[in-house]
Formats: sequence, C-alpha cells, structure tokens
Amino acid sequence: MKGILSIWRAARLVFFTGLMLVCAGIFLVTLLILYTASDLPRLPEDLSRIIETPQSLVYNASGQVVLRLGERESVPLNRVSPDFINAIVATEDHRFFQHHGINKLRTAKALYVTLFEPGRVEGASTITQQLAKNLFFSFEQSFSRKFRELLVSFQIEVTHSKAEILEVYINQIHFGAGAQGIEKAADTFFGKSARDLTLSEAALLAGLPKSPSAYNPFRHMDRALKRRQLVLQRMKDTGYISEDQAALAASDIPEFNREKKDARSGSYFLDALVKSLIDVYGENVVYNGGIRVYATLDPRLQDLAKLSLRQGLDQLDQEMGISGEKPSRPQGALVAIEPATGAVRAMVGGRDYFESEFNRATHARRQAGSGFKPFVYYAAFEKGGLHPGTLMTDQSVTIPVTGAPDWQPRNFERRFQGNMVLKTALTRSVNTIAAQLVQLTGPDAVIDTARRCGINSPMQDVFSIALGTADVTPLEMTAAFSVFANSGIRHDPFLFWRVEDAFGRVLFEHIVQDQPVLDPAIAYQVVDMMKAVVDTGSGQRVRDHGFTRSCAGKTGTSNNFMDAWFTGFTPTLCTSVWVGFDRRDPLQDKNGAGITGGRGAAPIWARFMQQALADEPERNFPVPRDIRFEKIDPDTGCPMDSRDSRPGIIVAVKRGQVLCGETVR
Amino acid sequence: MTIEWYESVGTREWLKRTVSFLNISVMILSVMLIFSEYRFGWGEQVLGRFLAAINQTRPEKGAVWELGRDTLTAHETVSQLIDRKSDTKAFAHRADSFSGIVQHLLPGEWVTLDKSHFKDLYRTLPLTHARQILEPARLIWLLNGDVTDRIFCEGLKNGIKIYFINTGNRVIHQIELTQDTLTAITEKKYLKPGTLETFDEFSGRIYPVNRFFDAVFKLPAEMIPDLLPDTDLLLDQEGVISRVGIWNEAEDGFIRLGFEFRHQTGIRVLFVNAREWTVWQLGLILKGAHS
Repeated sequence: MKGILSIWRAARLVFFTGLMLVCAGIFLVTLLILYTASDLPRLPEDLSRIIETPQSLVYNASGQVVLRLGERESVPLNRVSPDFINAIVATEDHRFFQHHGINKLRTAKALYVTLFEPGRVEGASTITQQLAKNLFFSFEQSFSRKFRELLVSFQIEVTHSKAEILEVYINQIHFGAGAQGIEKAADTFFGKSARDLTLSEAALLAGLPKSPSAYNPFRHMDRALKRRQLVLQRMKDTGYISEDQAALAASDIPEFNREKKDARSGSYFLDALVKSLIDVYGENVVYNGGIRVYATLDPRLQDLAKLSLRQGLDQLDQEMGISGEKPSRPQGALVAIEPATGAVRAMVGGRDYFESEFNRATHARRQAGSGFKPFVYYAAFEKGGLHPGTLMTDQSVTIPVTGAPDWQPRNFERRFQGNMVLKTALTRSVNTIAAQLVQLTGPDAVIDTARRCGINSPMQDVFSIALGTADVTPLEMTAAFSVFANSGIRHDPFLFWRVEDAFGRVLFEHIVQDQPVLDPAIAYQVVDMMKAVVDTGSGQRVRDHGFTRSCAGKTGTSNNFMDAWFTGFTPTLCTSVWVGFDRRDPLQDKNGAGITGGRGAAPIWARFMQQALADEPERNFPVPRDIRFEKIDPDTGCPMDSRDSRPGIIVAVKRGQVLCGETVR
Repeated sequence: MTIEWYESVGTREWLKRTVSFLNISVMILSVMLIFSEYRFGWGEQVLGRFLAAINQTRPEKGAVWELGRDTLTAHETVSQLIDRKSDTKAFAHRADSFSGIVQHLLPGEWVTLDKSHFKDLYRTLPLTHARQILEPARLIWLLNGDVTDRIFCEGLKNGIKIYFINTGNRVIHQIELTQDTLTAITEKKYLKPGTLETFDEFSGRIYPVNRFFDAVFKLPAEMIPDLLPDTDLLLDQEGVISRVGIWNEAEDGFIRLGFEFRHQTGIRVLFVNAREWTVWQLGLILKGAHS
C-alpha cells in the first residue's frame, strides 16, 4: 500500500511540476513572441500580387518574344493541373488542409530527432512555413529563423485562405534549372502549360522542390524518376490516386523539352544582347524594369546557323575520329551580319549552349591566319599604290626585325611559285608575298586598315601580322569583312534596334550611320580578289558544296592548325565561321593531316549561306564607276588582247593605274 | 483533527487529496486545453491574429520586399529616363533657334524634330550661314523630296548633330552644328566694330564701294546671287557702305567679304560669305579695273 502511495505522490509531483514548467514555458514563449513580433517582416496585403513583377521582353526580328527577363508569371489554381496540386500537397504537407500553419506531431518528432539523435536533422515544415521562408527569410539554418518563420506562417494562415496560400506557394517555389513557379517549370521541363501536365509529369515536378539540383531530370534522370516513384507512393497513401493509377504513371517515361534543358536563355545571341543591355541600363532595369527590346535576331537564320554549325562540327568529329563521348571535341562559332546596316542576324558561340555557355563568337580571341590578308592587300593598294595586277615574286623572304632574329615566312605548301600577280597571290594565299607587302607598307598600315574596319582587339606592330598572328573574335571578323561587302562603308555590329518602356515609349533607337572608312574602288578590288579565292582558290569548298551565288571570302588557318576560319559574304549577308579546340590543340584528321579553314570552316559557311539566302534573289557586288576589268597575263601582269586565246586572268583596276607600263583609262 | 504537514498521512487521506476537486479540475482543464489546441489550433490562431493586428507596425524587410524595392527602383529609373526625354523633347519643340536646342541637349541625348520645326529653325539663320550649314537645294530634297522620315537631333560635347533618317532608320544626311558656330551667328559675330584695316586678312584687297560694285555688275547676272547670297543682311544694316574687302583665304568653298559700314554710331565691318569661284571671277575684274 505504501508503494502505491509513493507512486501517487511521485505522479502528483511530476504533474504539478510539469504544469508549473509548462506555465513558465508559456510565459517565456509569450515574452519571446512579444520580443520577436515587433521585428518580424510585414506581410503585404495581397500575397498573390507580389509574385507578379513586370517582365522585360525581348522580341526577335519576326516580332516573337524570345526571352522574358525577371519573369515571375503567376497562374491561378484553376489553371494548374489538379494532379500537380494533389502531388505537391501529398509530398510536401499532406495535412495542409487541416493544420493552422504547423504540423505539431511532425514538428515534435523532428525536434526530438534533431535534439537527441546527433547528426540527424529532420524537417517538418508545412507548406505555409515554406512559403514564409521563401518570401521573407534567408536560408540560414537556426532555431531563431525557424521560430520567426513559424510565427509568420501563423499570420499567413489567419489572413489567407488555404487556396490562396497554395496558389502563392506553387507560383514561387524553385524547381531547379532556373525555373521558378509551376508555369515556368512546366514550360522548362515539358514545354507545356501547367494546366496540361499529366499525372506522371506532375508527380515528377512535385518531387523536385526538395532538392532541385539533385533531382534535375536533365542531369539526373534516374534520381528524378526514383523521386517521382516516392511522390506517387505518397499520393496513393494519402488517397489521391489508386494503385493502378500510380503504377501506370510510374511506367511512363515523360518526354522532356529538348529545346530548353533549363531556363537559361539557351542562346549565345541573347546572352550577348542581355550583357549589352546591362552595360547600358544596369541589371536592375533590365531584369525588373519591364522594358521591351527589339532584337536584330532573325529566327530562321539563327536556327540555320545552329544547325549548320552542329552538322559541320559532327562531320569534323567523324573526320577526326572523335567519338561523341570524348570530353574534348572541337568547338565552333558562327556570326552572320547584314552588311548594309551592321545588324547581327545570327550568332552561335559554341556547339551546345547547355554544355558550354562561353560565347566564342564574342569572346574567343583566336589567330585569324590568312583570313587577315585582305587587310594587308588593302593597305598595300592604298599606301603602296599597288593593284591586283601588280607583278611580284613568290620567293624566299628575309625580313630583319630589330632586337629579334630575322623573320623568314614560309608558304603553306613549303615551295615558291615565282612570279605572279597579286590577285593570284591572294587566291593562293601566298605568305611570302603578303610578307613583302607588309614590309612595303609597314605593319602599322595593316593595323590601321583593320582598325578602320572595326577590329578592336589588341594587335602587335609586327611584320607577322601579315599572316594573321593577331587574335580576333569571329564577331570582329564578320564586322570587318562587312566593310568590304559594303563598298568600304562601315557599320558597327549591333544586337537591338529599339528599346521601349512598358508603355511603348522609346528609350533607345539604333540609327544606321554610314561611316566611309575604305576607298570604295580599292575595297572592290579586294572583293574581286576574294571572289577568286572562292571560285578558284583556297575557298573552293564553298563551290564544291553547291553554293553558286556571287560571293567573296577568305580562308584562314593558324599555326599548327589550331584555328580554321572562313569569312565570306554576298552583297547582303556576311558570315564568319571559326572552328578549333578551346585548349588550342591542333585540328587533325584520322590520318594526322591538319585541317585548314577551307576544309573545316568553309563547308559550314556554305551550308549556312546556301539555306539562309535560298529565298533571296541573287545579287552581284556593285562595281564602282572608276573600276575597269582588264584581262592580263598572270605571269607578266601585262594586258592581253581580248582576242588572245591564251588563258589570262581578269583583274579589277582603277582608272589611272598602270598595267605593265600602260595607264588604264 | 488537524494534521500537520510533517505528519504522515494515511491512504484514505491520500486518495481524498488526489481526487480533490482542485486536482481533478486542473487535470481536466489541462487535458482539455492540450487536446483542444491540438484539435482546433486556437493557439496558432490567437498568435496569428495578434501578429496580423500589429502587421502595419512591422518593418518591410525580407526577400519579397527587397524584390519589390528593386522593381520600384527599376521603374523609377526608366521613368526618369523617359521624363528626361520628354522634357528635352518639349524644350526642343519650344526652341526657336538651334542654339536653344544645343543648350538643353546633353551629350548622348537625342530628340526628334518635326520637318516644319526644322524648317523654321533653319530660317532663323542668316542665309549666308544657313547655306554653309545646309544648302537650300539639299534642304528641299531632304524635306520635300519624300526621302526623310524623321529628323534626329543628338547632343554632342560642344554642339549638336542632326540626322536626316529614312524609313529604314538609315541616315541619309547629317550635319553638325558646333556651339562656336551658333554663338558666332547668335552673337552677330559677322558684325565687328572697326575699319577693314583692323583685319590683316583684308590687306591689299580693300576696294572703294563704287569700284567694288562696278566690278560686281560686270559679272554675269546669274553669278551675282552667289557673290551676295544674303542681301537682306546687307540691306538691314544701318549706315553707308564705304569700302569692301576680300579675305585672303577660302574656307569650305567660301571666301569672306567685308563690308565697311559708316554710321553715326561708329564704323563696323559686316562679314558675308561668298562663293569662292565668284570671288575669284570678281578679283580678276577688280585687278583688271585697277590696272
């Protein structure tokens, strides 16, 4: 009996002590709440409104929206697939519709685990708590933050209905791959609206918020599917779906949006555009200012550019014996500019944006090789008074360099071909003659010509510049060759025509300003020579690929085949293609032969231009008034009688220039 | 019988105490409180309502407010840009001279001018100066020849640049007006006090008025408007022309003529730009007449 009495006594002691402790605890918590409450963040009147920030829109040349910046599109619950709503509730907080902001049992359990099982942390956040955290708090893990988050969730619960809370929640959670909100996630991963999600897709998306990177289906498909299995199981356990439905959904392999891979722009062009906008207006205006930007991007040309480059690089992989899995594959870039305005119509900065965002079109400075020779020839014509019919000798050349060993340039073929006119020299890309020309004019004249054409990269005042030792970007090369295509008139490349605010008021408008930087007649002489490069010289691959239009261009191959270029143009479109390894390894085929610009880049150029200009009428380059065409003997440079049946070459000469002692009239 | 607290109590007493009204009430109340809170969550609701009541007194902080502030700042920045443009545009439209535009257009800023407004501004310039800026014939082509869609005016460090733009946003003609040029016009720098001898550049080329005009009238009639393009400027001057000087160098195809006016207020020289080739022809006649 005494024992029972002792137990009773003890129990009573425990109960009252506990009661006192609880009372003291409540008192302390009340004090803590009063202390904390004044510093809690204020809740906006309407939670749903905060999601809607005005997005900045980028339109392409066809008027389609191609990029939404700072986008936070909110969709009402009735425009979201019920399967997704069920899936997210079942997974994240199955008692969401019953509790008032906290799931007490789960919280108690999580608290116990966190406090008494070292190394283990268990979460018990309800949807409301997660919402409070996402809207107002950092992701710092502390009891203080948790407590504050809990208090805010209580307020959210009493001031908003469950439907409102759920709507805001699903519109702001992160699904990974840059997708925030269910509408964006549905578009990013499946290319559809949230209302059209199937059970299988909805379950997959509902599993992502727990760890968006770890379950990113683009990268870890297996993990994402395992996680989906768990979501389906939770849906079944909570009665949202039957076992059959769960099994059916689990067997489905969702079809992903192959265009996207994630919510990044997915486009080198758009990245360059956003960067230039940020340079002008600042990041805040670009992402939050709701501006409208009208880009120069031609969607058809951009698609063709991507396709041509990818196909060309795949072809190159085959020639080089590189398998798809090899980590280091050659990269490439393609830029297309409208010479008449400078508008960039297409830009691809690599073989796959989602593999490497580095924009080689704008940032990769690579040796231009012989692609630089048109500037050398122009400088020689302008400063040295030479012309395409001037006779020179392909021979061993030694150029003394102050403070360094003499420079002895060699030809690609390692042999000398004797006398030839300059048109032939450029067509055959003869290095010794280019070296003689730069010796005549000085490297500064070549640099000056390149600068006038828009090459802004640093260039060294050295003789070897004649052979393209300067590092340039594909964008610069395209812009500079556009000057030749445009009769010596320069237009700086640009990416957008107009910027407006959300109400259509103009903030910026690009006007096309002609800058005559080259003599039109001399520019034409160089163009005429570059036409021969394509027709009979190192760029003949362009013709081999069926491109028959009037065009001009120049191949370029840098030392040890590290870079292969082809830059060429028609009167309406100028395009530069570069291929090479990021790590500057040599481009060599299976047999160890080096890959030149004519072999590596020209086919990509031809494939692109062929399709890009398919719907356009063929045009010829306008011939300046003081240009005359003369048939000359390629070995002597002397005019030939039109009745002379010997093969000669046609050169473009200016009125007043002298051919073999005879002045052209 | 009173039992002292230190005395032991019996079972009966213990039972009595355990099931006392107070004990039972406290326990039932505690259990009710716990279960009702678990079932109805009134604790959370009370807290939530309390927090809602003091919501307006709490600070606007946290990620969502920061985003809101960023958005507001961005919109304010855009609005400021637009307002600045609107102000510039309004001022440009009110301006009655190119100088007025130059004063309010900062480098890099631009404004669109109506064709008629440009025409009015052009007409404010003395013809001789207007010609140097833009040939009237070209102006007619630009404004009446259906080639110009818009006229853009861009601020420079020391003046403005005016672009005539076609529908393809291409510049078809551009002119640059420096502050110095405009100041010279507005401050009537074409009118200087003093005699022709004040300017060394006229040395050896100063002619009495009658000899000068005799020579002028020997020129072919169609040539005279090119020699004296801005007759209004000369006619508007008070006083009498006593002598005329010819400047010793040409500038942009023009040579300055200096007309020395004598008036009771003083002697001054009025500068007029004449076509180089007509002055050359005139010079031949003057030399011939002189010899």
